[in-house]
Amino acid sequence: MKDLLLANPDYLSLLAHGLLVTVKLFVTSWILAMLLASLLTAIRSTSSRLAQALVALFVEYHRNVPGLVQIFVWYFGVPQLLPREVQRWINHHDGEFFFSCIALTLYAAAYMSEDLRSGLRSLPRGQVEAARSLGMSYRQTLQHILLPQALRAALPPLMNQTLALFKATSLAMTVGVADVMHATRQIENETYRTFEAFLTVSVVYVLLSWLIMGAGAYASRRFSHARN
Amino acid sequence: MTIHRAMRTTLFAFSVTTACMLAAPAAQADQLADMKARGTLVCGTLTSTEPLGYQDPQTRQIVGFDVDICKALAQHMGLKMEHKGLSIEQRIPELSVGRVDVVSAALGYTKERAQQVAFSSAHYQVPIRVMVKKSANLDSFAKLAGLRVSAVKSATTEIYARRGLPKTDIVTYQDGPSAFLAFMQDKVDGFSTSETAGLRYLVESKGQATYINEALAWEPTALGVKKDEPALLAAVNKSLEEMEKAGEIDTIWNRWYGPNTRFAFVREKKLTPISAFAQ
Repeated sequence: MKDLLLANPDYLSLLAHGLLVTVKLFVTSWILAMLLASLLTAIRSTSSRLAQALVALFVEYHRNVPGLVQIFVWYFGVPQLLPREVQRWINHHDGEFFFSCIALTLYAAAYMSEDLRSGLRSLPRGQVEAARSLGMSYRQTLQHILLPQALRAALPPLMNQTLALFKATSLAMTVGVADVMHATRQIENETYRTFEAFLTVSVVYVLLSWLIMGAGAYASRRFSHARN
Repeated sequence: MTIHRAMRTTLFAFSVTTACMLAAPAAQADQLADMKARGTLVCGTLTSTEPLGYQDPQTRQIVGFDVDICKALAQHMGLKMEHKGLSIEQRIPELSVGRVDVVSAALGYTKERAQQVAFSSAHYQVPIRVMVKKSANLDSFAKLAGLRVSAVKSATTEIYARRGLPKTDIVTYQDGPSAFLAFMQDKVDGFSTSETAGLRYLVESKGQATYINEALAWEPTALGVKKDEPALLAAVNKSLEEMEKAGEIDTIWNRWYGPNTRFAFVREKKLTPISAFAQ
């Protein structure tokens, strides 16, 4: 038992630090993605054909290009377009985390906006007409009537996307983000106990996924009772 | 209710899988005898590390120093060589599972790795250096304190970089080209690599990069075979000795690193038994 990787305090601390980064990356990307997805859905439900086309284009790109490729484009490609001073500043302020976060946010937001859109479409049309006839502006209708219900309706697919985003954070390791996968690879490189290292990180991911699923179950119980 | 059921099922499936994997006994067999019966030597090399193992753009075959060493080894052992391309992290697992017989892929010797793999005699040694931009005026490791240096994951260069540069942030990437790209894009201030693997990057940097004049370590590089196969290890070592005596290793070295190539790196240290490095 004392031969277990986890029994070694150095490796345990490495994994713990990596876990912290994973959680940070996940939570930041998730919050930003949900906000962006709501915005995208709102834009797409306007009557402007141009706005709809732009959002559709955004969604198509992010759904059809692999997440890994998107991270590479943001980390290796986009910085080249920025002025040198900005590049230097970002490089010295956690550039890896920054660009991975952007890539993951956009990636998840595309899927989430589609889920929200289908949630929106499942609502009875009469609500929009009722709200407008009460004198509510389009924005107020969306904000107070439609989006909250759409969110509730879209909770199951959004849960799936949340889990997918959580697993996708492991891709960030390829651009040097010191997340829990990165820590595992480092441990594996030093000890070459490949199976044990990957089994350990698998267990970590499963446990965290259960936590997320539990949170989702709690959310769906609390919010699924339609308010009268 | 459904979530609880999902959790239970996951836990059950997970336990069964883990139990099966842990219970599977390691197959004991004489690998050398199997190889002789097959008539082939399955040799694993890298595929994107010039000039050790890379794809020739014209012929689309994997060629390189490591490939030629394998060919010569197979010839001396009376076998036909079968090539398998490996990524850096596959090198040791593929050996342990038995999918390759010999790994000729810049396998640096470390005490920890020797617990998982059997190393042949070291057929060359390379200094591990750090590449920096000439314009940055970083001429000693001390000047790297507080800066960032890139390395390749699963390579000994990562280990030596962490050990030799404790005050430096080591950022790791999937492969050499990514780590080098990050260095050229100024995301990191240095790139830790073995002198041989890094020579092609020096050339590619078009004069912008240079090595710091210190070595993080001298890494002995050897061939890897599966652990607990004494007959195979002895056969490989014997063949390597024959190759060294006949000057074949030098010939192959000069073909890829010699004065006529763009690297012009001298093979200083000859074939050394691995016991010389066991610390």
